[in-house]
This record gives sequence, structure tokens and C-alpha cells, in this order.
Amino acid sequence: MTPRWRYWFLGALVLAVVIAAIYLPILRRNIRQAAKLQQRSEEQARRELTQPTVINPSDPKVKAKLFWASGADDGTLSAVNVELPLSNDPVLRAKQVLNTLLAGPVDTELRTVPPDAALLAFYLLPDGTAIADFSEALATSIPSGIESEQMAVDSIARTLEANVPKVRRLKILIHGQEVETLAGHLDLSQVFLVNANAAIAPRADATGAPLSTGAGQQLTPVSAAVKLAAPATKP
Amino acid sequence: MVLDPAHGGTDLGARGTGGIHESDIVLEFTAQLRTALEAQGFQVVQTRQGNANPSFDDRSAMANAQRGSIFVTLHIASTGVPGTARVYVMNDLASAAGATGLIPWDRAQAPFISLSRKLGDQVSALLAQRFKGSPAVAQTASVRQLRTTAAPAIAVEISSVTVEDRALLDHMAPGIADAIARGAATFRPTYVVPANLGERP
Repeated sequence: MTPRWRYWFLGALVLAVVIAAIYLPILRRNIRQAAKLQQRSEEQARRELTQPTVINPSDPKVKAKLFWASGADDGTLSAVNVELPLSNDPVLRAKQVLNTLLAGPVDTELRTVPPDAALLAFYLLPDGTAIADFSEALATSIPSGIESEQMAVDSIARTLEANVPKVRRLKILIHGQEVETLAGHLDLSQVFLVNANAAIAPRADATGAPLSTGAGQQLTPVSAAVKLAAPATKP
Repeated sequence: MVLDPAHGGTDLGARGTGGIHESDIVLEFTAQLRTALEAQGFQVVQTRQGNANPSFDDRSAMANAQRGSIFVTLHIASTGVPGTARVYVMNDLASAAGATGLIPWDRAQAPFISLSRKLGDQVSALLAQRFKGSPAVAQTASVRQLRTTAAPAIAVEISSVTVEDRALLDHMAPGIADAIARGAATFRPTYVVPANLGERP
């Protein structure tokens, strides 16, 4: 290589390095923005697909009671009255209040469920057992811990209890599946008793034992016998 | 005493931004708690020693196989005021025992709920004295691990993995261990296993 060619070659190399130094951060930023846009549109598409229940303005407006964190840092919830047009049909009504709960309060710090969680399906059996099927984000995006998981389930159950009187029990599914816990702590294998005063004939419990709870109380899981543990004896 | 450091193995539990993992920290807390309990004359069994992750049922089975055991599961939360701790006991469970006197596995905690509450309140009171802002009485929650445990059982949850400096959690360990050990020692003389395990004591 002649010195003249070497000069041009080095010059081109330096120019390429300078261009790369300028262009690479721009490229990185564009990739990041594209990923964010894609994520947002996926989330938007999922929400559009999974939340077809829209508020119908012709429904009578009622003061719905939604339960979000109280902000007291002690794991308590507080009721917030929100005026919503709510259907008289209990399934539609449940979907409307749960979607409003998932949308979150004005103060996002008071959320009890992750912002990307979605209600996939909701069923109400004739005996008052509600089956609420949530997207995986409810389990994967929630802060792990007994307190946070309990608050999430309490807020869902108490919102249903306050607004859909026909719901007597609640079973939570994640993406159509029964799961053992929400995020490693709170038991989701059970059916929660949410409204003991509902005007529905109670389903016979496996034991027939009375189960008591009511508004304002924490939820009681109702279980069915599966296997047996040997009784313990005196220490 | 059966001590249960929660999570383990591939289940890291709560994760902090500073690389703090619940599964690691609870093991260290358990080691200090074990020492404090042994000083109080308790025999101690752990549901895991290292980085294993036994199932909920396997952990309960270890407690249920012991005679007259007390069960404590340790957790670090990802929420709550840093430097506080809460004690949880199982919500009310319908109890049921067949003619055999055996307790249904998934309601094994039912006959022990009032004993768990008594133990939980004693430990909570001591934790509240030591760590300001902690509740003075036990909270109730549907904690999966507690439901299948046939013994007085509590979950202790410490806040939190979100601390910037892990030293804050490390400094809490001796106080947590002391409160649980003293609470258990106070509870021990009152621990009488219900005669009919199908009924609530």
C-alpha cells in the first residue's frame, strides 16, 4: 500500500469511527423507543381483546365502591366512591367494577393490582360462586409478599362484595389455570367467601361447618378435604 | 421449633433493586433465630438448610411429623415501611375431622388457629417494642404455607428488600431472632394440643 492510499484508508477509518460514535447512541435510542412502542401496543391490543366490557352510558349511574390501598402503609384498604353507569346484570356489573378497579385510582401509589393486569373472563355460577380469570400479569407483576398479595385479593373481593351482591364466593384463576399461590405467598387454591349475607341459598360445605365473614372482614378461604394429616400430640 | 426459610432454589422470592434476594436473607435470619431458640432450650428443625426449594406440602410435612411442634416461616417483603416486621396467622378455616380423628391435610391448621393467634400476638408485641411502626398484634392472611401445618404456626414478614443498603436488614436480624425466641418461650407453657383435633381449641 502506497503512503497516499494509507492516508486515504486511515482517513476513511477515522471518519467511520466518528460516524459510528454519533450514530450508535441514536440507533440505541431508536431501538429502545421501538421496543417501548411495541410493548405498549401489545399491552393495548391485549387490553382491547380482554376487556370488551365497556361502560354503557345508558346504564343507570350508581355510586360504585372501589377498594384501593388506604395509603397508611399498614396494608389496609379504603373504599372510594366512584359514580359509574353500571349494568343490572351481575356478570356485566362485576366486569365493569373489576375493570375500573384494574384501571387504578387517580393516585397510582394506591394501586393494589399491577397496571398491566387484565380481567380475561368472569363467570357467576347459580350458587353465587364467582370465577374471575386474570391475566398472568396479576401474578408476575405484583410485588411479592404476604401483605401486597393479600391487599390485591382483598381489593378484588371487597369491590365485588360491595357492588355485586349476588357474588357469594370467589375463585381466582390466572390465565385460565388454578394456581397454588398468587406470587408465592397468598393461597389461591381456595375459594374465598366474600358475601355471607347474599340472598342465595348457601352451597353445602364439605363439613357443614358454619363459615362466618362479612363486610369489612378479611376473607376466609373455604376448602375441601383432599388428604389427611396425622393428628399431633402433646408436646 | 420448625423454622422455615421461605422460597429457595430457583424461587428467589422478593427481589430488591440492589440484588437482594428474599431466599438468601431468610436463610441468614434463620441461622440467627436458630441460635436464639436453642439458647431458650428449644430443639430446632429447619425445612431447608441450603439453596433447596421444598414444596409447601413438604415443609408442612416436616412440622406435622414432629410431636407438639411450633412452626415459624420467615419472609422478606417487597413492600412495607423498611425496618418493620409483621406477624401473620391463618384466616379462619372450617375445621373437619372424620371419625378416625385425622385432620384433613388442607385444613390441618384449623384446630390450631387460636393457638397460632396467641403465639402470633406474643411475638407481634415483642416485635412492635423493638421495631417502631410494626403492628402490636398478629394480622390474618390466607398464607398457603400455614394452611397445611398442623401446629401453632406463624409467618413473620420483614420489610423490605427495597432497602438501598442491605445492612439495614442485617441489623434487624438479632432483634427479630430475639423477639421470636422470647415469644415462643412465653407461649410454650400455655401450649396444650387440643384434645379433639376436629374441634377448635
